Amino acid sequence: MKVVIASAHRFPDHARLWFRLLGRDLLPALRRTGAKVEVLLFRDATPEGFEQRHFPGATLLTRSFEALDVVEFREKALERPGDILFLLDADVFVLDGEWVASLLGHFEDATVAGVSLLRRGTLPGVFALMARRAAYRALQAPVLAPAFEGLERWPRSTKRQAGDRAALALRARGKRIVDVPLAATAARLVDFSGATAIRTAREVYGAVLGPRFDTLLVEEPDFAAGAYENILLGALFRVVFGAAYAVARGPLPFTAPDSDAHLSGSATPEELRAALATIRDRKALAPLVASFERSDRALTRLATLEGLTRRALHVPPVLPRARVLEARARAAASRLFGKR
Amino acid sequence: MIDAPVLVLAEGELRRHETFGPHTVNRGAVLFECTWEGGIFESGVMVGGLFRSGTFRGGVFWGGVWMGGTWSIGDWENGFGPDGRYHPRTVHP
Repeated sequence: MKVVIASAHRFPDHARLWFRLLGRDLLPALRRTGAKVEVLLFRDATPEGFEQRHFPGATLLTRSFEALDVVEFREKALERPGDILFLLDADVFVLDGEWVASLLGHFEDATVAGVSLLRRGTLPGVFALMARRAAYRALQAPVLAPAFEGLERWPRSTKRQAGDRAALALRARGKRIVDVPLAATAARLVDFSGATAIRTAREVYGAVLGPRFDTLLVEEPDFAAGAYENILLGALFRVVFGAAYAVARGPLPFTAPDSDAHLSGSATPEELRAALATIRDRKALAPLVASFERSDRALTRLATLEGLTRRALHVPPVLPRARVLEARARAAASRLFGKR
Repeated sequence: MIDAPVLVLAEGELRRHETFGPHTVNRGAVLFECTWEGGIFESGVMVGGLFRSGTFRGGVFWGGVWMGGTWSIGDWENGFGPDGRYHPRTVHP
C-alpha cells in the first residue's frame, strides 16, 4: 500500500514545526505497517523560507499553472500514484501515529471510500481525511473543490466546503466515509483551527485595517482563539528551534526576520491581553477561557512529543488569573446546576 | 455632469454584512460578507460576500461570489463564479 500525505502551508515556520512533529510519530508508524509513504508539501506562498533541509524526504511543490492554490493542489495530489491520499490540514497535528496507522484497516472493506479523522462542519471535509484514491478519482473533476449551489437564492444559497460534494457523491454511489468519533480523536489529534487563519488575515488586510485589526480579537472569537494558538505554537517553536515565530513579513521577501518581532504576524501576547481586558461580558469570556484551556492541554501533548514540559515553554499569560478562576467557577456551576 | 459618490469607504474601516450601492467607492476598507451593487472598488479587501455589479479596479477579492460587473484589475485570491464554481488564485471570471 502507498499512502500519499498532502498538506498545504502558507507559513514556513509553521510548516517546519508541523513537519517535525509529523516525522516524530506518524511517518514511522505508517511505515511500520509496511506502507510506502510520500509527503507532498504545497508551499501556498512564495517559496522563500521553505528550505528543503527542513523537510527531509518531502516533496516540496510550488504554485504553478498546474496548481495555483491549495484547492488545485488537492486535485493534483489525487493524481499522484498511490492507494490512499491522506489530506492533512496545516493546523492539524497528529499525536498518536500508531492509532492513525491502524485506521488504514478500514480500507479492507471495499465499500469504504474514506476515513475522516476530524470534521469542522456537517460533512467530513478535508481537514484530516484518508481518501481511497480510486474511489475519489472516479468522481467528476474538480473532485474536492468547494462550490456554491442555488446562487439565485442568495443569501440562502448553499456553500459546499472542500470535500463536501465528493462526500455526497460517494454516498450516492453506495460508498462510505468512516467518521471517527470526536471522543476517539480528542487525545490523538490537535486541531489548532485558527492558527493559520489569523496570520493570513493579518497578512492580507492587517496593514489596511491598522489598529482596527486588534479589535477583531474581541469581536471574532476565532481570531482570539487563533492568536492564542499561535502564542502556544510560538512558545514551542522558540524552544525547539531557537527562533522567533510568526514574524510579520515585510514588503521584501528576503528581509531577515526580526527576533523582536515574535508573533507580530499574528497577535503578540500584549495585544491579545489588551484586547481581552476590554471584554466585560463574563458570558462572552467563558467560552474563550474554555477554548484557551483546550489549546493549553493540546500544547502540553505536543510538547511531550518533543520531550518537553509545558513549564519549559514559558507560555506568557494573557488572561488575568482572577478572571480565569471566575470563568472556571461559572463553567463548573453551569455543569453542576445547569445554570447559564 | 457626473454624479459624485455619496459614500467613500476608506482605509481602516471594516464593514460587515452591508450592501453598497452604485454611488459607493471603496478606497481601502475591508468588507466582510458584504454585497456590492454597482459602485467602484478601487482598493481594499472584499472577504466573502457577493459582487453583483460595478467595477473592480483594485484591491483584493477573497472568497466571495462574482455574479457580474467589470473586472479591471486587482488581486483575485480566490472566489466563485456566477455558476457557483470555484475560481482559483488569479483566475477571475
